[in-house]
Amino acid sequence: MRALAAPGNKILATHDIFMPALSSTMTEGKIVEWLKKPGDPVARGESVLVVESDKADMDVEAFQEGFLAAVLMPAGETAPVGETIGLIVETEAEIAAAQASAPSAPVAAAAAPAIVSSPVPAAAPPAPAAAAAPAPQPVAVAPPAPPANGRLVATPRARKLAKQLGVALETLRGTGPHGRIQAEDVELASGQPVSVPRVAEGSAAYAPAAAGSAAGAPGGGNGASPAPSAAMGQAFGRPGDTVAFNTLQQAVNRNMLASLTVPCFHVGYTITTDRLDAFYKQVKGKGVTMTALLAKAVGVVLARHPQVNGAYTDAGMAYPATVNVAVAVAMDDGGLLTPVLKDANTIDLYSLSRTWADLVARSRTKQLKPDEYSTGTFTLSNLGMFGVDRFDAILPPGTGAILAVAASRPTVMAGNDGSIAVKRQMQVNLTADHRVIYGAHGAAFLKDLANLIETNPESLAL
Amino acid sequence: MKPGLDAILFDPPGPVPFERAWRWQRTLQQRLLADPRGPETLLILEHPGCYTLGRGASLDHLGFDPAAPPAPLFRIDRGGEVTHHLPGQLVAYPVLNLQRHGADLHLYLRQLEGVVLDVLGQLGLAGQRLEGLTGVWLEGRKLAAIGVGARRWISQHGLALNVNCDLDGFAAIVPCGLADHGVGRLCDWLPGLRPDQVQPLLRDAIAERFGLTLRPPKDSERLRG
Repeated sequence: MRALAAPGNKILATHDIFMPALSSTMTEGKIVEWLKKPGDPVARGESVLVVESDKADMDVEAFQEGFLAAVLMPAGETAPVGETIGLIVETEAEIAAAQASAPSAPVAAAAAPAIVSSPVPAAAPPAPAAAAAPAPQPVAVAPPAPPANGRLVATPRARKLAKQLGVALETLRGTGPHGRIQAEDVELASGQPVSVPRVAEGSAAYAPAAAGSAAGAPGGGNGASPAPSAAMGQAFGRPGDTVAFNTLQQAVNRNMLASLTVPCFHVGYTITTDRLDAFYKQVKGKGVTMTALLAKAVGVVLARHPQVNGAYTDAGMAYPATVNVAVAVAMDDGGLLTPVLKDANTIDLYSLSRTWADLVARSRTKQLKPDEYSTGTFTLSNLGMFGVDRFDAILPPGTGAILAVAASRPTVMAGNDGSIAVKRQMQVNLTADHRVIYGAHGAAFLKDLANLIETNPESLAL
Repeated sequence: MKPGLDAILFDPPGPVPFERAWRWQRTLQQRLLADPRGPETLLILEHPGCYTLGRGASLDHLGFDPAAPPAPLFRIDRGGEVTHHLPGQLVAYPVLNLQRHGADLHLYLRQLEGVVLDVLGQLGLAGQRLEGLTGVWLEGRKLAAIGVGARRWISQHGLALNVNCDLDGFAAIVPCGLADHGVGRLCDWLPGLRPDQVQPLLRDAIAERFGLTLRPPKDSERLRG
């Protein structure tokens, strides 16, 4: 999702259709057929086009309801993975405007990146997309609470079990995030023994995993909201059990072990967040999340510190062409994923927020494509919502650095002039591969990040 | 040994018209789309003579007028060029939720090749992959063709392995668009070999490679039409 400045300076909400990664070894794909024509309505989940790579076809579906506004790459052409190949708009009225402001379709199969990121006036951001998914939650189990809006929220497995066991879901209080009813709640209600967590069947086996136990908080502020209060901590087995690692946990284990071969060091910084917090309050209502704010801030600063965006390879220091900020998200059933906010430095804050909500929702249902969790160039791990004052993170393989973000808390500060003030501060801690990133690089990056957050967070919305 | 994934085996006796088997696959794909945690399926069968084209396939590889084909011709929702099906050739169509199997279409193609290599190994033959091509070859002749399609990572179509089929029908096309590669069949190396002898090997190789525990369909899971 992004916003285009349309003629007349009206802001227009368009959603990009990207060339998907059908395989970790796929670099480009051929568009076999557009199943929709520009102007056609598309439903969420409806196939819009077919992409071929090798002897395999995949239907590409719309993630939003709306209208296909433009085909940027015609059938028969080949596009690199991640390239924008079409645009979807939300209303019929926006079709013409999107077509007018869309880049014209490349005539030849040239790989001219079709990037249109016009600055978005902060005054008129597009309306946040209708609540796409249940707000994903930090790893800790939230205190039991009935669903906020009276709607019944239950996991698919819980629904299935309830049907099998004849349990009325309406009668249950869910112990999951936001009071979501989990399979365990159904089992408990039916008197069934609570089964050990199932083995996850994830697409995540190749996910570069990040910090040992990190969580993203798309909805929650970094310290802006209090940590979930007294509740049972998460465990994957009961006392006395030994529970096999699921696929995702095994993948995380491998990645964590791989980090032992990397000479890492840590460098920390304390950042005053009063101004960031105030700005967050302003834009929260527009669908902006603290995760997107932090990712955007990190992205912008990384673009000025390419060394910190770099990574070790056998051939030398690799400098990625883009700044892709991965954010660690713990999975309810164990393991963690690192969905990627691509081009975090250039994509506008509102689009980043929406993209993030979509990524998290799909990561929970294991619907992420490999390039959506494996293309991070830098990782962010935020445990602020738990109130932790500091932690350090383990470096995901293939990247040079990860930033551990702790909670922002009121702190008594002494000024150079002897004055005393209470300000909100958070500690961030960078873990970096010393073969590529040296202490001075890390420190300069953190100084710039602190400067941006402390003095000019409003610029993140420009 | 971890328990396998629940999977239904459909292995109807006798040739199944292509359009029928295709309809079955779409039904099974729909079921899995509706319930991604539901059982996966393996179809193993033979087709009466027919030709199929991948969605992006070129008509240049047909040696006949597409308006008047020597056998029914279908353009279908898979990748790849033209291929030929006929009795004496086993086809295997796994309808899998590939999210459980790596969520990687190239990997899936390599796994299907691996299945055929496993079957050949069981028969004492050393099949080959050819770099950059999809399929399995033996002494320069192509024994197995592979082409798949997927929607939200639910697969359909799969592989075709020539056992003792007539090869004349392949002369009317450039199989898979590869002009320089002849087509072969297993009975040229193992005279007298029949599909019913290879079927269990193919079934088991697929179950093994994808970690499936195969079972017959329940009444509610039967395919109509």
